[in-house]
Amino acid sequence: MGLLAQVLVNGMLLGGLYAVMALGLALVWGVLNIVNLAHGAFIMLGGYLSWYLYTYAGIDPFLGLPLTAVVMFAVGYGVQRGLLNLIVRAPMFNTLLVTFGIEVVLTYLAQLAFSADFRTINPSYVGDSIALGTVVLPVSRLLAFGIAILLTVSMWLFLLRTRLGRAIRATAQNLVAARLYGVEPRHLYAMTFGIGIALAGAAGGLYGTVSQINPYIGAALTAKSFAISIIGGLDNPLGVIVGGLFLGILESLTALYIGSTFSDVASFGVLVLVLIVRPNGLLGKAA
Amino acid sequence: MPSGEVLAKEIVLGASVQLTGPVANTGRYYRDAYQLAVDRINAAGGVRIGNDSYKLTLKLYDNQSDVNLSVRQYTQLVSQDKVDFLLGPFASNFALADSAVSEKYRVPMVQGGGASDQIFSRGFKFIFGTLAPASNYFGSTIEMLKGLDPAPKSVALLYADDAFDVSVAEGTRPKLKKAGLTLVMDERYSTNATDFSSLLSQIKSKNIDAVLVAGHETEILNFVRQAKSLAVAPKMYSFTVGVPSEDFRKALGTDADYAFGMTAWLPSADLKDRWFGDAAQFAAVYKAKFGYDPDYHAASGVADVEVLVQAAEMAGSTDPAKVRDALSKVKFDSLYGPVEFNESGQIDLPQTVIQVQGGRLVAIYGGNGKIAPPKYPMPAWDVR
Repeated sequence: MGLLAQVLVNGMLLGGLYAVMALGLALVWGVLNIVNLAHGAFIMLGGYLSWYLYTYAGIDPFLGLPLTAVVMFAVGYGVQRGLLNLIVRAPMFNTLLVTFGIEVVLTYLAQLAFSADFRTINPSYVGDSIALGTVVLPVSRLLAFGIAILLTVSMWLFLLRTRLGRAIRATAQNLVAARLYGVEPRHLYAMTFGIGIALAGAAGGLYGTVSQINPYIGAALTAKSFAISIIGGLDNPLGVIVGGLFLGILESLTALYIGSTFSDVASFGVLVLVLIVRPNGLLGKAA
Repeated sequence: MPSGEVLAKEIVLGASVQLTGPVANTGRYYRDAYQLAVDRINAAGGVRIGNDSYKLTLKLYDNQSDVNLSVRQYTQLVSQDKVDFLLGPFASNFALADSAVSEKYRVPMVQGGGASDQIFSRGFKFIFGTLAPASNYFGSTIEMLKGLDPAPKSVALLYADDAFDVSVAEGTRPKLKKAGLTLVMDERYSTNATDFSSLLSQIKSKNIDAVLVAGHETEILNFVRQAKSLAVAPKMYSFTVGVPSEDFRKALGTDADYAFGMTAWLPSADLKDRWFGDAAQFAAVYKAKFGYDPDYHAASGVADVEVLVQAAEMAGSTDPAKVRDALSKVKFDSLYGPVEFNESGQIDLPQTVIQVQGGRLVAIYGGNGKIAPPKYPMPAWDVR
């Protein structure tokens, strides 16, 4: 029984990390209708940024997250303004092609700049754990989980309550009407993409405290974020948390009962199932 | 061409290795080792065949960590570039596929990057390997386990689902049984897995004493970090790869301590070499040139070049068939150790058990038994 409880907790904490990774992808997809294939590469960049801040400036990876997010926001804003705005009304295939291109360029630039060595963000407390009876809670994952909840709820409030958030939702719903009310779409698109990339950057910092960073982690993280967004649904940030938790727990239980090699089979199997049964996601409006 | 001028004759060695992509971190050992060996041999007068001196050149492609691309590049090397001999890629799944090209075109390939027994069990005549057989990677570790106090009672074996690690697992099971150790967990995981928390929690709940992991460096790194964060501390754990490399210790810091690993090579001055003097001098030259320490991958890569040169000189010819026959008979001392191939083309070198102690690699147990006392059992994470 102790083992099952531990594995469920592992899955939940893993799911929290998954949710932060997927949050930015879901936002950009939901609002801009861009499936950002470079999302994982931006997570990777955020990881390196946190690593540099920690290693050379001594900035704690968790306290440094806002800084990482701000820098990545600027990167995201620039990419949307300079590149993605050009194709925002082009067919979906074009955006896939361009974001895939960005992914390749970022990956190879990262190898050039940082080499293929691995980095880990390893402050002394990161490996610590809290024992609750027989269940062990790793501090780094617990922090990542807390930040995931915090970011998701803030994101939800931001979209519902703030002027900018409303403008973003309005543009997503009806561009022409939004324009009539004075919304500047090019700036707004860039703001949205910037926020998405800022979230990816923060996720990268968290990821570096749990796992290792190298230039090639991006593609797998994009795939995972994609699955979570689909499972959770795009029209509500809370769906991303549900999707992340669902996937984390599913993978952990699969590893326990069926075998570790089947974790990916299970998660992508569920992805296909969700696409068939509830194409708008678990929390999305029923199709 | 004015008469009397001697044409510089060339022997071209071709290889495709991982310079980019997820495996580039280990692939670079081969690029650097091949280049260093070629430069060194040329500086010493090149390859002597009959009365002629041949200059070595290296034709190297980047396979981007993609097996299919590497097969195409090896095909190009033999059919378009017309290289004389082939050096290998890194990793068993690559060597497994690429050696089919060398066999088809009957060009000898000497590779020091693939250890899976599968590579050598197909009756191929043109493939030679300088890594010890995967099935015996844990051999010396299990020998050591038997003599530990308190003796480990339960063992977990985890392995990635690729050609090399499956071979390791297949060789390890009967050895554990013979040593009287009980295999309590025997789990395969997918290559590039990042989350080991379920497996680690099982290790903890089954109270396992010794954990043997056959996997890749990135996985080992995640495994150790997550073991710490889940407070999982078996009496010992040992890894097929990672531990000997500098990058592993750099990334983990003090958390790398107590990790057992293995290597078929240490930069000992006892390993005499025709071109570098000995292994210690080689390690110094390598570090000075590339800025990082060589490990057994690098030494194995240099041995690949050296053994080809040795065989060509023995054969007195650059004819691929003659050099192949010479390779099967070659017997010489290199900085990597005594090189001699068995029937199927593989070398046999015992693995030395190593352990990280206080941030340094210490040789613990070798082919001839104990070398230094192991730090065992591993203490819990919160009292280290």
